[in-house]
Amino acid sequence: MNVASPLPGTPAAALADRPKTSAKPPFLGFGLGLRHQHYDEILNGDPPIDWFEVISENYMLPGGQPLRALDRICERYPVVMHGVSMSIASTAPPNFEYLQALKDLAKRVEPKWVSDHLCWTGVHGKNLHDLLPIPYTQAALDHVVRRVQLVQEFLGRAIVLENVSTYVQFNNSEMTEWEFLSELSRRSGCWLLFDVNNVYVSAFNHGYDPLTFLNGIPADRVVQFHMAGHSHMGTHIIDTHDHPVCEDVWELYAAALRRFGWVSTMIERDDNIPPLDELLIEVARTREMAQKVLPAE
Amino acid sequence: MSDFARQQAEFQRGILDGDETVLAEILDSPREKRDVLFGVYRYAYGSRLVEAMRNDHELLHLYLGDEMFDEMGHAYVKARPSAHPNLRWFSQGLPEFLKSTAPYTGHPELSDLAALEKTLNDAFDAAEGKIAELSEMAGFAPEAWSDLCFRPHPSACRLDLATNAAAIWLALKNGHAPPDAAALEEPARLLIWRQDVTPMFRELATEEAMMWDEAANGIPFGVLCEMLATYDDPDSAAGRGASYLHGWITAGLLTDVSVGK
Repeated sequence: MNVASPLPGTPAAALADRPKTSAKPPFLGFGLGLRHQHYDEILNGDPPIDWFEVISENYMLPGGQPLRALDRICERYPVVMHGVSMSIASTAPPNFEYLQALKDLAKRVEPKWVSDHLCWTGVHGKNLHDLLPIPYTQAALDHVVRRVQLVQEFLGRAIVLENVSTYVQFNNSEMTEWEFLSELSRRSGCWLLFDVNNVYVSAFNHGYDPLTFLNGIPADRVVQFHMAGHSHMGTHIIDTHDHPVCEDVWELYAAALRRFGWVSTMIERDDNIPPLDELLIEVARTREMAQKVLPAE
Repeated sequence: MSDFARQQAEFQRGILDGDETVLAEILDSPREKRDVLFGVYRYAYGSRLVEAMRNDHELLHLYLGDEMFDEMGHAYVKARPSAHPNLRWFSQGLPEFLKSTAPYTGHPELSDLAALEKTLNDAFDAAEGKIAELSEMAGFAPEAWSDLCFRPHPSACRLDLATNAAAIWLALKNGHAPPDAAALEEPARLLIWRQDVTPMFRELATEEAMMWDEAANGIPFGVLCEMLATYDDPDSAAGRGASYLHGWITAGLLTDVSVGK
């Protein structure tokens, strides 16, 4: 599949709406999702972590310890902001109060980039606090492209969007998820966060080869990898982020490295948070695998 | 409404209300039926929000136990769907919910305990503010004192409790068995604030609570002392006022002291 070419039926006008080119974010190395359980150990030590990803909403607060810790982390490490509530694919009107708070936080943090997910979190004034799936239709693509353009204009920067783990597929989808993501990135100018575990989870849940997904994403649009653990339920996998990364996902990571090259990579743990040392072992493994798989930078 | 918007509305109803309309547009997977797969979202919705409530109300959770807390949590989730993009604010309405919803209305200590934890949480991440220092007081001439006005630290908040929820909170926090719940003859007047990064509270005597409330309203020190004189010995009112003020400043409760107009 030639993912660089427009999908059949892509309006010519859509090709003209590609935003001004933004420079590709830099390679940051091998990082970790910042969690409050590790604040002291990080700030009082010198753990071998190249950069941190912070959950934006955890710091969209008036003040106190979270913001103070974040300020200190930002003084010492490159930081990227990762949100869960942008709801970029929602058909509800954009929440500009949220976007302004996100913009204010970005001004404070000066992140290397700001990311969220290709998903929606609610409509009609409600928020389900989940990363909900969308149908991969032309209409949905047009909607999300417009929404990404609007958000990028509001924030004054290109955003990075992540593929989510999904448990259902819609019968009205007209393209694959990787075709949708590729077109979204090409038309809106957003960059992609390739969550290796999410690809594995969705591929298992929907019965396709994760390598097909991987090879369907344009190599030059991916700026970050997520690595995480999941829970296998037998007939489906749930993306719980409460386990170490499993061997199958490590194998897929090696394939992702071969396709996408040196991409900023991080370990993402959200539940059953272990001691920092345990996560450092996984961070070290991301680095070692990249050094083994890829030629030197 | 576009087809996309209709589908999202139906998907949301499927999660919130158990409506099955959206299942007609969802595929079975090679290994599992669509209703089971959609159920992952339904289950995650309730469990994620109740988990957030457990994090925000650690001691209420301890007091009620897993089963009762989760039953209460799911009732709250059903009654008060989240409208805010940040999960941090989801359980803000819990004290009011417990105060107004059976069977919890029959146990007023639950609402009080939730209110105490909520106010401590709010103090934890409240806005930063300068901390007024005792040394600043030396800069005011004696004749200026009656016009002094005080600005509370942004984290400072008063809370009145009708039950012994504060004693229950302290016992649970220290790993002890909580006392039996009881209504108080006079409400417990608490002052809650953050010292450095740690939220804390202490109980105020009736007249100190009055003085704090009125000081927070911008009433100057001279008038505050006149009000204190109506509570107890008038001759020692100014001394008592100065003593309370000293305690507030040393505890980091004030962000500014200035001569009012």
